[in-house]
Amino acid sequence: MIARALLASVRKDWRLLARDRIGLFFMAVAPIVVIAVAGLSLASLYGASPRGDTAYVLPVVDEDGGELGATLRRRLADEPAVELRFVDRQAALAAISRREAGAALVLPPGTSAALRHGEPARLLLLTDPVKYLEIANVRNLVQELRHAVGGEALDRARARLERARAHALRARQRMERLLARVRAELERAAAEGREGRRRLAAEIDAASARAADVERRLRDRMAAAASERSEAARERVAAELEPLAQFLRDVARYRSEFDAWLMAARAAAGSFADRLPAPPSPPAVPPAVAAFESGGAEKLADRLVGAPAALGGDAVDWLPPGELRGILSLPKVPPAVATAVPSAEKLASRLPAPPPAVRLPRLLEIDEQSVTGAPARLNTFDQNVPGFSVTFLLLGMLLGVSLGLIDERELGTLDRARATPSPVGALVVGKLLVRFAVGVVQMAVLLAVGHVAFGASLGPEPWALLLPTAGIVFAGTAFGVLVAGLARSREAVLPLGSIAIVTMAAVGGCWWPIDLEPRWMRQVALGFPTTWAMAAFNDLMIRRQGAAAALRPTLVLLAFGTTFLVLGVPLFVRRSRPDV
Amino acid sequence: MVGEIVCRDVVKRFGARSALDRASFAVRAGEIVALLGPNGAGKSTALSILATLLAPTSGEVAVAGCALPREARRARRHLGLVPQQVAVYPALSARENLEYFAALQGLAGDGARSAVGRALALVELADRADEPVARFSGGMARRLNLACGIVHRPLVVLLDEPTVGVDPQARERIYELERALAAEGAAVLHSTHLMEEAERLADRVVLLDRGRVIADGTTRELVERARLRPRLVLRTARPLPGGWADGVPGVVADVEPAPAAEPGATSERSAVLTIDSTASVPAILERARAAGGEIDDVALHRPDLADVFFHLTGRALRDDDREPAP
Repeated sequence: MIARALLASVRKDWRLLARDRIGLFFMAVAPIVVIAVAGLSLASLYGASPRGDTAYVLPVVDEDGGELGATLRRRLADEPAVELRFVDRQAALAAISRREAGAALVLPPGTSAALRHGEPARLLLLTDPVKYLEIANVRNLVQELRHAVGGEALDRARARLERARAHALRARQRMERLLARVRAELERAAAEGREGRRRLAAEIDAASARAADVERRLRDRMAAAASERSEAARERVAAELEPLAQFLRDVARYRSEFDAWLMAARAAAGSFADRLPAPPSPPAVPPAVAAFESGGAEKLADRLVGAPAALGGDAVDWLPPGELRGILSLPKVPPAVATAVPSAEKLASRLPAPPPAVRLPRLLEIDEQSVTGAPARLNTFDQNVPGFSVTFLLLGMLLGVSLGLIDERELGTLDRARATPSPVGALVVGKLLVRFAVGVVQMAVLLAVGHVAFGASLGPEPWALLLPTAGIVFAGTAFGVLVAGLARSREAVLPLGSIAIVTMAAVGGCWWPIDLEPRWMRQVALGFPTTWAMAAFNDLMIRRQGAAAALRPTLVLLAFGTTFLVLGVPLFVRRSRPDV
Repeated sequence: MVGEIVCRDVVKRFGARSALDRASFAVRAGEIVALLGPNGAGKSTALSILATLLAPTSGEVAVAGCALPREARRARRHLGLVPQQVAVYPALSARENLEYFAALQGLAGDGARSAVGRALALVELADRADEPVARFSGGMARRLNLACGIVHRPLVVLLDEPTVGVDPQARERIYELERALAAEGAAVLHSTHLMEEAERLADRVVLLDRGRVIADGTTRELVERARLRPRLVLRTARPLPGGWADGVPGVVADVEPAPAAEPGATSERSAVLTIDSTASVPAILERARAAGGEIDDVALHRPDLADVFFHLTGRALRDDDREPAP
């Protein structure tokens, strides 16, 4: 029963909506017209339309006739914010008087020359102060131009100095290369000297070696001769002393045999041995003679004549070592002289210092960096498309939901439905579902038209726009119920609802950027669903953020919607009781 | 007290004011009952309670055997409400309106299509079924309003002044429809402040005044119960002398001047006589002529519900009282 009633209610409200041509016009065509008008009218809020269709007329009086005018023309040729018109001063004043232009730029005579020669130069801006915003935009452009011209002059001066410095550096490099070549020649001569010394020393060393060899062979030959002679002498002495040596050996043998005989005799004597007289002592052999006995004749010859080596050595002692080389008088290689060629660094250090890099004063630049993802130049439709779409969505909800519910009440169809077995809630929910769906479609269509017709951004994730869309449509639908509950009659809906919606839209930033409002008003605006919807749309469409940026505002919008329903449904039920 | 509609000692208060004060009446199946009373008598309150839109403060109410408000949901299946205003969607066609209210009554598919077709035929709108209601005349819209209340063939039909703003021809068509419903067995409760409508249409009349049921019965029963007699109104060319009708048979009440019928007329030229029966009229006319009055006009007024109401309340039925607000 509930589902059938809900379906019947949805079908009924869909048919009612489809046949409400004024309502459809209000939902679809009217917002597009207002968006176009407002977007083009308020284009200067962000400077100018990127498409250039809202450019200010800027009369330029070029009394200078120099390169400054050409620069101005070149630089502002592609600037969408202004349309340059080169005129004389009278025409410029006339354009301001006729309000065709809010400002005119005069380039006084000699301006270009003054700039060229580094002398003071001034531009003149003729203005109509009433056109404050236009003047501010033109002033900004002129400031940018002035800044650019100054920057270009500095760049030119810097280029000239850089060229002079580069020339000096090249001269120094040539000098360094010359010094290097000279030094290389000196190094080569020094190397050749060192090689000569080395070869000379080698030759001296060879000659010295040869002398030493001659000396050694001479000494050997002399030693051999001496040895031969002493050997012969020793052999002769030994031969002469051999009989003596034999005699002494015989004496020694006799003494040994005598002692043995004596021993035997004493033994034979037995007890009478001690009565035997002591034999007479032989004469003692002098020690010098005894040596002949123990050493033989050769030793005695060596002792008398000397060993053969000793005999030879002694024979050449007359030639002291090195005497022969001293006799040859070999020359000495003089000691090497330290190279006097200075190092390359030392040579370079004696050159004049290279010219220092010139640091001309720079203009103070501003690097503007968008930290929110918003582009530097905004499309005013990025603000106006969602803003006026939300406005018309809420107005549509006011007409659709509030008037729809009150119509049900005043037509008596609500009472008739209450007298049926179907829950009356199905009727209300069906109506709200249709309006919710239509609201989402309305927003989607308006955003799509804004994108196609006016170049409004849909952000990096266009689907994410569904989040705040669903949130504000839900809040708007619920607000419609609240208004239907508050309003006593159909006639009370428009004054009550439209005042509330216009206030919420204006304060909530639907018609202009909320940042134009004072701080206290922005705080107040947090109490309106429009503020949260626009915050989400701005984050998604202008700041190019992802879906995550829209989550919190969407939740807040859902909370607004829930609150409106909690307040609105009991009020509407109370107002819908039979008035009998 | 039995019937498809039963109200017993029903009280409904809005603050200190009582919209219904111990009201009791019943409607049986196949019966058309007119709930008659001036504005503010409590008719709409009674219908709202019977339609389950309001709960009574006290008393017993039953619709189609379902006690209200406890069994309101079940009662609604057998209930057909025809509000005083044309409670249909002007942008939709007659068929679409009927389909919608049929769906709310739980009809679907072939059953719904059949019911819609039958209702369209019953109110003679089949040939205009697919036109937007906004193009309908007042009478057609009223018939559709009635059709939307009976599309599901309810046992109980509640009509709240369904002929307001309707031309006589369309009114007759609505009466026929109500009679047809009653003939099919529905209990029809028709709220109206038009005495003539109640007399012509209703099988029975419940007179309601300031929340109280002051009379309940057929018109004849109510008149007889009030002992009301016919009145003869004479207008003569010349004023009649005093006591001119003395002794005429059938004259019950004294001669009294009639209220001025038109601007400039004097009451002395008119007279109202309460008579026993119409049989005495010729004698009265003869006596008047004999008394010297040339008779310009004669009107015989039979007692009706307005007389009954006046008799019971001392006020005219069409006094524009207002009902208390909830």
